[in-house]
Amino acid sequence: MAEQLLAAEDLGKTYGTTVQTVALSDVSFVLHTGEFAAVIGQSGSGKSTLLNLIGLLDTPTTGRVLLNGQDASATSRRQRAALRNELIGFVFQFHYLLPEFSVLENVLMPGRIAGASPAVLRPRAEEVLALLGLEGLESKGANDLSGGQKQRVAVARALMNRPALVLADEPTGNLDSENTKAVYELFRRLNSELGTAFLIVTHARAVAQQTDRILEVQDGRLLQDERNSHLEWEPAAAPAGEAVASTGAA
Amino acid sequence: MLSLTIAARFLRKSPAQSVLIVAGIAVGIGVQVFLGSLITSLQASLVDQTIGHSPQVMVQSSTDGQPVAYGPALKQTLTSQPAVTTVVPTRTFSAIYRQGQVSAPLELTGGQLDQLNTIYDISGRISAGKAQLGPGDVLVGKDFAAKNGLSPGSRLILVLPSGKPAGLMISGVFDFGSAAANLATAFVDGGYAAGVLGYTGDQYSAIDMQVHNVFDSKKVAAQLKTQPAVRGLKVSEWQSQNSDLLSALKSQSYSSYMIQFFVLVAVALGIASTLAISAVQKTRQIGILKAMGMEDRRSGRIFLWQAAILGLGGAAVGVGAGLALIGLFTYLGRNSSALFPIHPQVWFIALSFAVGVLVAMLSSLIPSRRTTKLDPIEVIQGG
Ligand SMILES: Nc1ncnc2c1ncn2[C@@H]1O[C@H](COP(=O)(O)OP(=O)(O)OP(=O)(O)O)[C@@H](O)[C@H]1O
Ligand SMILES: [Mg+2]
Repeated sequence: MAEQLLAAEDLGKTYGTTVQTVALSDVSFVLHTGEFAAVIGQSGSGKSTLLNLIGLLDTPTTGRVLLNGQDASATSRRQRAALRNELIGFVFQFHYLLPEFSVLENVLMPGRIAGASPAVLRPRAEEVLALLGLEGLESKGANDLSGGQKQRVAVARALMNRPALVLADEPTGNLDSENTKAVYELFRRLNSELGTAFLIVTHARAVAQQTDRILEVQDGRLLQDERNSHLEWEPAAAPAGEAVASTGAA
Repeated sequence: MLSLTIAARFLRKSPAQSVLIVAGIAVGIGVQVFLGSLITSLQASLVDQTIGHSPQVMVQSSTDGQPVAYGPALKQTLTSQPAVTTVVPTRTFSAIYRQGQVSAPLELTGGQLDQLNTIYDISGRISAGKAQLGPGDVLVGKDFAAKNGLSPGSRLILVLPSGKPAGLMISGVFDFGSAAANLATAFVDGGYAAGVLGYTGDQYSAIDMQVHNVFDSKKVAAQLKTQPAVRGLKVSEWQSQNSDLLSALKSQSYSSYMIQFFVLVAVALGIASTLAISAVQKTRQIGILKAMGMEDRRSGRIFLWQAAILGLGGAAVGVGAGLALIGLFTYLGRNSSALFPIHPQVWFIALSFAVGVLVAMLSSLIPSRRTTKLDPIEVIQGG
């Protein structure tokens, strides 16, 4: 069995002080090195909350997150930033590229945050860009790309520091079906070629079924955790798109 | 240097905003350089006109009208003061010029011409005749000569303090640039003055001195009073005799500081608000940089760097603009004797430059703090 990469232990998150929203409660699971998993659930079920907690972007109200066996919830803001930089690559629905910088500079950014010089980082950035079929776009401005290209650059940037885990929150939410397909094929390839673990939040049932493991969240709780099986999940009354619905406030 | 790189790029990608801030700082620093140099030079010019060609520190007998003995010990003490530029023993007396019905008082200073020149620059300011002070020669002012129809070669008849008449030969006419001085002052040979006053060879009315920095005169006078050779003598200096001028200069300085201060405050507010807007505009970028692991403090430095770049640029342009204004002022006033030359001082320009950078840096504290405190989750959740 592969090494344990991440463990969520009784994770809970409550938002607000006067009006409290329990977004997540008692979520526990373990993710191993090289796993390829999906998180599904209705809108408002707590998927993003979960991803933000294990990505150390948010702090849990209860429970803890272990990364490489280390209790990341107990560390300082500064240490969490360093852990994010070193271990985690993020891909969001919005690409969040820096419009002031070129494609290459955007991809270099995580390496530069880690303290390396652009010259040292360049071969790695070119390798990643090539992996994503973005050769020739290096010097283009980040704003001068198509939606699909932007999202692929965002993926390239997430891979720059060779993260052990990529957290993707509805990464294709803004893409058409063709680009969506391309991105997931890419994730799969990166997973098998590089051994990078993926945890992907998606609404698309077809996508979830192609992963190795499906974590289903409902009303802030982990409803199912299934491996290598077909799932009987229906996207209920939620629209097929990525629109934010106001259902399920726990 | 990633924060610097990002700061520079943010600035480059909002050129209009950057140029506006640089212009704001430049205006403030330009005003400061010009106004500060103008006031400083105006004051220097005023002070120079007032006491530049006068004794600034004087040693006299403590009893009025008595001579001071200028012996080797006193000479040694006075000439060895590092702040003192010149030491001139003089003998002064009053006399009445009388010609027919006309009579006018004259204040005569006796001394050696080359020594008197170190204070009064008589030779450099002769308008007619020769700068020459032999026994029996007298140098009179331009207005005095004109008023009384005198010229070089004329005889000057005086009534001495003793009541005796005396005749002197006008060798030259000087112009000290002030009608009052030109009317009432005259110079004679030191030996002649000694005769009039009944002084012996080492007896003088006063030992006149000038100092390097005129505003050091108080310090020099105090220092002299402690010297054994000066003990028992009266030491006076120009500042205590010109308190009106000094308080006028001080209030002028204060009003100039006030103007400079408020201009800088206005500039600081302008930069602060523009930088704050810029920081808000960059929230998404800062958020994702932090999500990717950029440390809080490092992200805060982005706006400090922006301010430093804008401050350096603005201060440099401002100093240039200030100097250009000074140049224009000097050019426009080149033919006017009413205007005075502005001599920009290096230390003041360096100070203005530093103030410009500092003001910019201070103005960035709010956006910088905001950036430091930003939680990446705010951006990620906000989309
Ligand atoms: N900052 C917040 N303050 C208050 N409540 C919040 C906040 N963020 C999320 N919530 C609430 O927490 C619950 C879970 O939200 P979350 O964003 O995790 O859902 P999700 O599963 O990602 O939904 P979607 O599929 O629409 O993206 C929701 O009820 C939401 O309203
Ligand atoms: Mg979500």
